[in-house]
Amino acid sequence: MSTPYYIPEDQVPLPPKNAEVLTTACDYCIVACGYKVYRWPTSARSGGPRANENAFNEDFPVGSMGWWVAPTQHNVVMHDGKPHHVVVVPDHDTEVVNIGGDSSIRGGTLAGKCYNPETPTADRLQTPMIRMYGVLMPVSWDFALDIAAEVSKHVIKNHGANAYSVKTYSYQYMENTYAITKFALRSINTANFTFHDTPSDVTSTPGFRDAGFDNFGAAYKDWADAEVLFMVGTDPYETKSALFTSHIKPAIEGGQKALMMGPRATAGTAFVENNGGLWLDTVPGSDLPVLLAISRIIVENGWEDSDWIKNWVNDKWGSSSGFGQGTRNTPWQWRTTWGKFQTGGFEDWKKWLLKQDVSKLSVASKISGCSEAKIKKAAEMLAKPVNGKRPKTSIMIEKGLYWSNNTGNTNAISALGIIVGAGGRPGQMIARAGGHQRGGQRGGGYPRNKSPEKVPGRRKRAMDTDRYLVAGNTRLAYAIGTTWIQSMCGTQGLADAFNELVVNNPHQIRSYDKQEIIDTLKKRADSGGMVVMNQDIYLRDPIGARYADIVFPAATWGEETFTRANGERRLRVYNKFYDAPGQAKPDWWIMAQLAKRMGFEGFDWKNSNDVIEESSRFSRGGRKAFHMVKVAAHREGKTFHEKLNEYGTTGIQGPTMMREDGKLVGTVRLHDITRKLSETGAAGINMQNKKMTHFNSQTGKCNIQKAPWGLFSDYWEFIKPKKDELWLTSGRINEIWQSGFDDERKPYMRQRWPENFVEIHPADAKKKGIESGDRVMVYSDRVPYQKDTILGIEGDDFQFSSLQKNGHIEYGKAAVTAIAIVTPAIKESVMFMNFLDTKQPANALQGRVVDQISGNYNYKMGSAKVKKIGESQYKDTFTSMSFAPRTIT
Amino acid sequence: MTELIKSKTSTEKPGDDLASHQKCMMTRRQFLLTSGTATATVMLMMKFGAAQAAVPAVVTNYPRKLIGKLSSLQNDKPLAFSYPDDGDYAESLLVKLGTEGGGGVGPKKDVVAFNYYCTHQGGSLDGTYKAATKSLGACPLHLSTFDLTRHGIVISGQAYQSVPQVLLEIEGDNIYAVGMMGLIYGRNSNLKG
Repeated sequence: MSTPYYIPEDQVPLPPKNAEVLTTACDYCIVACGYKVYRWPTSARSGGPRANENAFNEDFPVGSMGWWVAPTQHNVVMHDGKPHHVVVVPDHDTEVVNIGGDSSIRGGTLAGKCYNPETPTADRLQTPMIRMYGVLMPVSWDFALDIAAEVSKHVIKNHGANAYSVKTYSYQYMENTYAITKFALRSINTANFTFHDTPSDVTSTPGFRDAGFDNFGAAYKDWADAEVLFMVGTDPYETKSALFTSHIKPAIEGGQKALMMGPRATAGTAFVENNGGLWLDTVPGSDLPVLLAISRIIVENGWEDSDWIKNWVNDKWGSSSGFGQGTRNTPWQWRTTWGKFQTGGFEDWKKWLLKQDVSKLSVASKISGCSEAKIKKAAEMLAKPVNGKRPKTSIMIEKGLYWSNNTGNTNAISALGIIVGAGGRPGQMIARAGGHQRGGQRGGGYPRNKSPEKVPGRRKRAMDTDRYLVAGNTRLAYAIGTTWIQSMCGTQGLADAFNELVVNNPHQIRSYDKQEIIDTLKKRADSGGMVVMNQDIYLRDPIGARYADIVFPAATWGEETFTRANGERRLRVYNKFYDAPGQAKPDWWIMAQLAKRMGFEGFDWKNSNDVIEESSRFSRGGRKAFHMVKVAAHREGKTFHEKLNEYGTTGIQGPTMMREDGKLVGTVRLHDITRKLSETGAAGINMQNKKMTHFNSQTGKCNIQKAPWGLFSDYWEFIKPKKDELWLTSGRINEIWQSGFDDERKPYMRQRWPENFVEIHPADAKKKGIESGDRVMVYSDRVPYQKDTILGIEGDDFQFSSLQKNGHIEYGKAAVTAIAIVTPAIKESVMFMNFLDTKQPANALQGRVVDQISGNYNYKMGSAKVKKIGESQYKDTFTSMSFAPRTIT
Repeated sequence: MTELIKSKTSTEKPGDDLASHQKCMMTRRQFLLTSGTATATVMLMMKFGAAQAAVPAVVTNYPRKLIGKLSSLQNDKPLAFSYPDDGDYAESLLVKLGTEGGGGVGPKKDVVAFNYYCTHQGGSLDGTYKAATKSLGACPLHLSTFDLTRHGIVISGQAYQSVPQVLLEIEGDNIYAVGMMGLIYGRNSNLKG
């Protein structure tokens, strides 16, 4: 029996003195650690171990935290058509983000992502392909683009723009997202558009939005400067590790009190608990009652931050005031139409809170499975004054919270944040920690009026693109840099729809002739079927491998010069340092070629700098506004990329402004009430806006809102495990980024995680006769799928129980296999899987039912049965996987 | 872009007797991988096509060093030793896990040895052996942990590779260190010079 084994090298080449050095940042998680790339030709002599022989000026062996090169940080790539060594290492000189050169296991192995035909990256997509005679065959760019353009035009002309679906990553660099959204939203103007992580183009955190909080207002420094840090729905160590190790861990060691909430303990949780912190172990979807109970204890004891509430929270008048907010025609407006959320200020909210059954300690404890003592302790830690002084409290949220009761949880946490005075001050912030980096720049607005989705009240909501596709309305589906199917809830039901509309349609390409191919695909669309185009760096299964008619190969990180921001809005240039494989092209280029062939104007870019310079003015007013970088650049006769490159791995935090002397100034945190801006307003084309010094609300003060459990409780009760079921939730694990597209090609990561796993508590495992290393089936007969696009008229039309009653929910079977890991680190009655393994996708078992208010899926709260189907090869061999707990300290 | 790319490793020192070292090291590496269990074999995940037969690591000449006696080992009581030299980051541990481990020697295949430094940024793992989980760590710098039953694989954390395993051989009661798997933190080559 053999299992993946990577034989590590025991020697590594060092960059010579004259190696070229380029800066970049990590391609993966939100933290975006700063990296340096050292490049030298393979024909040149490598560096030596003496300081005068290598580019680091270091004597080897180097000291701890030094410029060491792990073998996984070296690769050989083509640059200008000649083979070069590259070494990609964290920047040990940096004073921001990954201070001193910290790095994660993901970023630390970035070199392994570079295309090298000797490594498992050999299968990078290198040419466009068309599925002819059932097989994806390499073709020329002109051939593929001509077909794509003709079929695209036909679908839009004959079936309407909404029949043209664009499903794209939201983050893979501003140059690309600008081009993609300009194409989809401005040029085609389809409402059948959304990003990789949601079925509808809607806010991910409705409660934050309505309270007035920017998702990424905080600086990393704020997480460190907090005296009390409440991390909800994430362990940053497990998902964005350098944020934890460079900022939070040192703070905890310096006396910060930390709390975490969620069903799964990981290394960060264990570290928190061992250092005077607290883990609130809750079952999925039960955050709202716990947060209300904490809030109730705080207000019953008078521990709320009264000064903050007096000065920075809207009263009755403020809550209803203002053009574009309050009772007027905004998303916030319709959310408040039925009187569910809006309050008349703190006292009104408090009155509501005290009336809620679920805010009672005993009730919240019963629903969540978290002890009363822990909930009480949390309230004390967050808000009880110590020696007459309030603690400086910050709140960090992530998907465990906002993807398990999207609207309710984000409203509840916002209200708690408001009463503990989190927001607007150094060390006192409330924000998301983030998942992927912030690389979105819109090149067009979403045409909400064209969406068929109408919710109760007067508002339209962005289209649920999955439900629209399943109903057969999408005639061309264009997936860009996302697996789509495994990323969305109810994976297997969605795959059935793709099969039906694409594979089972009689119109399949059986010709070599361009016009016949075009005609076949047109007939497919006209017959009620669907054409699929896929743009990615690898052929992903099934979106590319099984469904795509046309595949475009994309160039990515390191293969083109790009711009992106991280979780504290820090903008950096990600420099190109090697040649893209074959004929792979950056996404902005592909969009431009397709758009021009379809007759759209405004796509005449020559390089990625042209794109970012065009996009910059649309960034004004946004959280990462970078327009002033371009202004400064042009003033100095430079390009945008040249100017931003001067800031190296430090970059600059958006929104950016320019002083009179031409120097650029960044923004440490948003909503910063301590920040002094020019009293006479912004000079020149600088923009000073509300979010810099106030909150994103109608008055600039926070809205404190109700969080009714009743909007969600029927869904929660339905999902709640019955008989021998267990909760099933999912999330990121430190070693794997997103769908694992790179990690499955990094031999060491493959060795660590050869397939998906499911964590099961020992008590649950014992009942089912499951041991670590067993192969199990995780399955359900009752995964709910919402069908039908209905017009909401009555207040409860989109309530889950109403949807059920009115026949809009159907129930499907779904199953994924996994390797069992029995560990007390997962709460009893709960199972946990990696969220996006393309072969064993946890989302298959999550209900395809959107949050009735926001339109997002609640990905983190399913339930399923589990049974052993055999023993895996990893159980008794020693080369691959590990069943040791992730909570060892 | 053409496919002219050479092997990743090109730093062999001139004068080394490549062939014989290669043979020697393959033997020892395979010994390590197969001695832990009767069923484990080597699978080179990273090699494709013509390169499949190549040995990925640079061949080096590890010393054979007596590091302890089987009879003096107690379960879960690590002993410290230096390998492959007495230089920086050479501190290692020899431990009898009490349960079979990958690369383990002795009658129960439970005697293993590892370098004592975290392969992330060089934190010392001395004193972090955990009997309950047969693991090293958490590293005091960034909390990485390593599973000693599975060739030192990262359990959780920041490290880029397994903690280097010291290859062992038994001769009677004597335990010899004979080679290493993986680059020791801080070094560009496990062997100086």
